Amino acid sequence: MAEVEAVVAPGETIAELDVTRAWLIDPASGREGPGEIVVEEGRVGAVTWLDGTEADGIAPDGVIVAPGFVDLHAHFREPGFEQAETIATGSAAAAHGGFTTVCLMPNTRPAIDEAAVLVAVGQAAAASGSPVRVLAYGAVTHGRAGEELAALGELADAGAIGFSDDGSPVRSAGVLRNALLYAAMLDLPIVDHPEEQGLTGGAEANEGLVATVLGLKGWPAAAEAAAVARDIAVLADVVATEPRARLHLTHLSVAESIDLVRRAKAAGLPVTCDVTPHHLALTDEWIAGARRYAWQAEGVNPDPWRDRALVAGPFDTSLRVNPPLRRPADVMACLAGLRDGTVDAIATDHAPHTRVDKDVEFGLAANGISGIETALGLLLEAVAAGQVPLGRVIAALTVGPARILGSRLPAPIGLNEGAPADLMIFDAGDRWEVNETSLRSLGHNSPLLGRALPGRVLLTVAAGRVAYLDEADPDRD
Amino acid sequence: MSLTIEPAGTSAAEASLPAPRWRHRHLLDLDGLDWSEIEVLLRTAEDMRGVLARPIARVPALRGRTVTILFYEASTRTRVSFEVAAKNLSADVVNITASASSVSKGESLVDTVRTIESLGANMLVMRHATSGAPYLAAETFSGSVVNGGDGWHAHPSQGLLDLFTMRRHLGDLRGRKVAIVGDILHSRVARSNIWALTAAGAELWLCGPATLLRGFEAWAGSWRGTAGGPDGRKGFVVTSDLRAALRDADVVMTLRIQRERQAGGLLPSLREYAARFGITRERLRGARPDALVMHPGPMNEGVEIAPDVAVGSGSVISEQVRNGVAVRMAILHLLSGTLAGSTAPVEGTARG
Repeated sequence: MAEVEAVVAPGETIAELDVTRAWLIDPASGREGPGEIVVEEGRVGAVTWLDGTEADGIAPDGVIVAPGFVDLHAHFREPGFEQAETIATGSAAAAHGGFTTVCLMPNTRPAIDEAAVLVAVGQAAAASGSPVRVLAYGAVTHGRAGEELAALGELADAGAIGFSDDGSPVRSAGVLRNALLYAAMLDLPIVDHPEEQGLTGGAEANEGLVATVLGLKGWPAAAEAAAVARDIAVLADVVATEPRARLHLTHLSVAESIDLVRRAKAAGLPVTCDVTPHHLALTDEWIAGARRYAWQAEGVNPDPWRDRALVAGPFDTSLRVNPPLRRPADVMACLAGLRDGTVDAIATDHAPHTRVDKDVEFGLAANGISGIETALGLLLEAVAAGQVPLGRVIAALTVGPARILGSRLPAPIGLNEGAPADLMIFDAGDRWEVNETSLRSLGHNSPLLGRALPGRVLLTVAAGRVAYLDEADPDRD
Repeated sequence: MSLTIEPAGTSAAEASLPAPRWRHRHLLDLDGLDWSEIEVLLRTAEDMRGVLARPIARVPALRGRTVTILFYEASTRTRVSFEVAAKNLSADVVNITASASSVSKGESLVDTVRTIESLGANMLVMRHATSGAPYLAAETFSGSVVNGGDGWHAHPSQGLLDLFTMRRHLGDLRGRKVAIVGDILHSRVARSNIWALTAAGAELWLCGPATLLRGFEAWAGSWRGTAGGPDGRKGFVVTSDLRAALRDADVVMTLRIQRERQAGGLLPSLREYAARFGITRERLRGARPDALVMHPGPMNEGVEIAPDVAVGSGSVISEQVRNGVAVRMAILHLLSGTLAGSTAPVEGTARG
């Protein structure tokens, strides 16, 4: 049985941590297995890998130590929408989810389209007292309006980690091309939200059986695939003369997109992508009232009405998200992409909303799932179902996003002796209930409310300081 | 399980109409009803037709109850039909016509429903332009919610009255061919008829321009396999071949084509629609000679239906309207049996 002994106080430098007989995962060194770790005064003192009889009985079903997670895509709503989330509450939620670095999207009000807004975000992060690293993207275009380029150079100088008009695609291929060229000069990626809006006007749910039966306007898979194909074609054109150009496609959700990225990578193009935890587990059937994971929907043509899978009321607005939850077959394709490395990273697209914006008719509800705290739990469900190895999930939450951030990530990922501790510890054998009390985010817009998810996070340490400490019963087994 | 309604004036039974066993507190869609439940509704509607035939078509089933009719979309026939039905059952009726624009002005549906409840409503009949809106109301409202039409999703009372009308003329619908022609994609009437008619065992055909059928082929395909549809339903046919859809049909139902479909790029023009899909006397010759002609209204005569067909020998369009009152009386009566003060078992989820 693993033991975690710690002398810690939230927010303070971690004085002493001694984890014995746990399962360590270090994607940076590619190593995973039974081990022990000691942290003293905020630094990793010793990492010991156990083998032989010492390792007996230690399996990845109990206490697990991994590097702190990096979220490439989150919305903390500050400035402008502080009722939904602030940088302080978002950071607390991130730490509860095991994340020690978050990359915020610039669709705030005002948008992060000039350096002053980015500086204000950095100041709010410092003032929050949280050790979670808050990084941010700048907008690609002024006001995210899709026309004139934002102050890309100034944003880069102020520390922007890349550029995105997320929430919207970069609408014009011409603007995208110029943005890729200009950002390449700054050595930063363009992060696109791929959506061909000519196909998605008024869309409410994935175009498919569920939307047809429920009378919801469909968001077709082709709208994402068309945008991904366009983006890749523009990238290919740009890299011919500017090899530093980089394109990252965020929250891919359909099989066709994964396939396009797989082929683009095979052709050597500098494209990367991420998928959200909800697109790796949940499906559009949930909107009809099903509550089974994608891999539980059997057969090539599942139909929750026919399968008697409807156990909840339909039209739950916590399931309204952009891109929408897709068919089981799309989820399986995203999982396959994660397994084979086509998917570089898992990013939460944490999108907290207020009640006012969600307790309304489905078609009027804001898009988004508050997901930074439930990411690990959903992914562990996929691991438990044999859909993806645990090590691959942890890599996609750590070294995967770190590679995309490159030198913009202030500290290297890994359980590195002598380095400031940046790690998270969770108990894969313990479940926690997702509810309005357990969530640290102000956004309670989660379709998982009321469910018990595996993988209770016990401790998150960012840059040597305690970001999250589980206050549950210390006598818990 | 037949409902008996005592003749007017026979004292004791007046105060306590026997309610058949009915477990659903709300009627939001027909997808959650099995055939035996639909039969209870149809039999109750038959009894209500008997009430309507009386000189004074009024029974005290809902005396002391308040039915609030909340419509966010313009409607005459459905709103008035529910109002007449509720009044025939001696309910107090409150009519609220909310403009769709008030939704965007920040008046939340949840607040509106809370207000209606505070004002004493026991039953809420609502129409809304957004699919699923009545489910949100049902989560908040402690009484019964009846869906009077939500977005493209469902119009259960219309599906039931269509089924009721067909059964009165044709009896058992198993093996009878019903062709629904028009804008299937945007039609809550079509969706509710899919559930009602497949439950009844009819041979259902959906027909229209390809742009207005999108997604329904996949739905039909999902039910065509060996497993069939829910409750072993055998599914339906989706086609743009009007001649095939009408061939030997027992029922031809046309749906309203809205002008917006042209502006939305789904149709070249209403004129072209009429030329290709309008139900004319000539085209109707392909159907059975005694085929019923139905339309949920309001009609665009000369577009989806020729004026002479609308009033022709097979037309039961006016009868649909009359039957609508009986069916809605049946719905309100059965649901009221699940409310507080009633002894009937209640299933209170939004799906119920």
